[in-house]
Amino acid sequence: MTSAILQAINGISFAALLFLLASGFTLSFGLMRVVNMAHGAYYLLGGYVGLTLAQRTGSFTLAIIGGGAAVVAFGYLVDRLLIRRTGENHLAQVLLTVGVAFVVGDVALAIWGGDNLKIPVPPFLRGAVELPGGMYYPKYRFVLIFFGALVAAVLWLLYRKTQIGAVVRAGVDDREQVSATGINIDRLFVITSGLASFLAGIAGVVGGAFLTLYPGAEWEILVYALVVVIVGGLGSLEGAMIGALIVGLLDAYGRWLLPEFSYFVLFGPIALLMLFRPRGLFGTEH
Amino acid sequence: MVVIVLLAAALALPYYAGPFWMGLATQIYIFGLLALSVDLLLGNTGLFSLCHASFFAVAAYTTAILQVRYGVPTALAAPAGVCAGTLLAVVFGISVRTRGVYFILITIALGFIVWGVAYRWSSFTGGDNGVTNVPFPSIGPLAIATHFQYYYLVLAIVILCAIGYRVLVRSPFGLGLRGIKASETRMRSLGYRTGLHLYVAFVLSGALASLAGVLYVYYNRFVNPVTGSFQISVEAALMAIVGGTGTIVGPFIGSGILLGLRNWGSSFFELHAAVMGAVFIATVLWAPDGLVGLARRLRARLRATGKDPE
Repeated sequence: MTSAILQAINGISFAALLFLLASGFTLSFGLMRVVNMAHGAYYLLGGYVGLTLAQRTGSFTLAIIGGGAAVVAFGYLVDRLLIRRTGENHLAQVLLTVGVAFVVGDVALAIWGGDNLKIPVPPFLRGAVELPGGMYYPKYRFVLIFFGALVAAVLWLLYRKTQIGAVVRAGVDDREQVSATGINIDRLFVITSGLASFLAGIAGVVGGAFLTLYPGAEWEILVYALVVVIVGGLGSLEGAMIGALIVGLLDAYGRWLLPEFSYFVLFGPIALLMLFRPRGLFGTEH
Repeated sequence: MVVIVLLAAALALPYYAGPFWMGLATQIYIFGLLALSVDLLLGNTGLFSLCHASFFAVAAYTTAILQVRYGVPTALAAPAGVCAGTLLAVVFGISVRTRGVYFILITIALGFIVWGVAYRWSSFTGGDNGVTNVPFPSIGPLAIATHFQYYYLVLAIVILCAIGYRVLVRSPFGLGLRGIKASETRMRSLGYRTGLHLYVAFVLSGALASLAGVLYVYYNRFVNPVTGSFQISVEAALMAIVGGTGTIVGPFIGSGILLGLRNWGSSFFELHAAVMGAVFIATVLWAPDGLVGLARRLRARLRATGKDPE
């Protein structure tokens, strides 16, 4: 019973991390129709930059901001110089961004090496918290749940309750119409893709502090994010929230109950969805 | 004419080139076959699958485990490998319920599941080390003992597959697939069961990838999780695209270019994965129709200016 509860908390804290990554992916697709397979590489890049900053300055906050900012700059260049030239050809985008991810992964390997590296966590986030019933749980992952929930709440408010959110939603539905009403859609694209890159970058720092950073981590985390997006529905923020929770919990229980087949547990929701709702829980026609 | 010259060159290759080139050529045929299986979907139906390494790997693992651990003879182990990979395609085939980006994303996720199982289920698959010491194939008195003999076996199978592929894509079924690629709604209103068409194409494509996997394991003599990795799936797709989709020689040309580049590149550069990545980017930006497409464009231009060499 105790383990079941602890696994649930594990799952929810992983879900918080997945949401950071999947929300950016899903918003870029929703608004710009861009499938960015380099999102996992953005995560790894943000994590490595954050690691270097944390080691140099000793500040975890600076690591998060720096990791995010570095990825925003890199993402902007990739977007402007490469992705922009593919138009709306998804096949070309996938190949192109996979190529970018290969280059980033290989260069990162050359710079930071092939070992598992862990970003140092500040002292006040170390140790464990005591939960009711005499259970102990790592404080860091507990705080991560609140951080994820905070980001989700801010994104949701931004998306649903502010004017810029309304414009983005209108852009998701009909880009030409929005642009015809005199709104600078190009600037909107830059802001959204910058936000997506930033979220991926901070996810790398936050995730690198408990999952560690290593070559190949970019693909592992990307697959989880993809499953989240497939389950939730491409382009839907709410879908990314629900999808992250489903995938996080399934993964935690899968690892606990069927350690050798934990990846296989992920197949269940995908298969069921494909049979009954091929576009995901909140997906719309694209 | 070009085909005959190429065939003659391939048949004579072991006599004029050393063992290194013969090994490389064998690999090019095997990965070309895998790329051809990807192109059966990509070039004929427009579906872009990124999970073909799964069928390749499941077939390779099945054959290797049966042959090494249970001593099953090749006559059973090789067909069992093809069947296992095809069976996986029968399951993964449900992904044809989706189209476009969803299809791409779902096949990526499915591919990773197979890689994860190969990697984590170490009591059965051998984990990171995989399965080693796979013998050369032998059926009764017909035994392959050298790479020289295996080269001709692979070449013969690849030629048979290419002929079969050509018959398939020119059959009413293959034309139906091309019709779906051009306009699925029109085909559906003409009374075609497009979902079933695509499903059958997916399974056939998986079977072809499985065959390549069996050929691979007997060549490589071991199999590990890398065989089923996302990287192999992407490279197979890239081979088809670099060479030129919708053709038969294209995937083999692409396979030759990529494997050649990797063998040549890895002896010069540290960063050969980054070089691969650069090839991806360059292909998408400058040669989206592949080399066959480039050659066609060039020929069309020459013809237009009246300087056609033919």
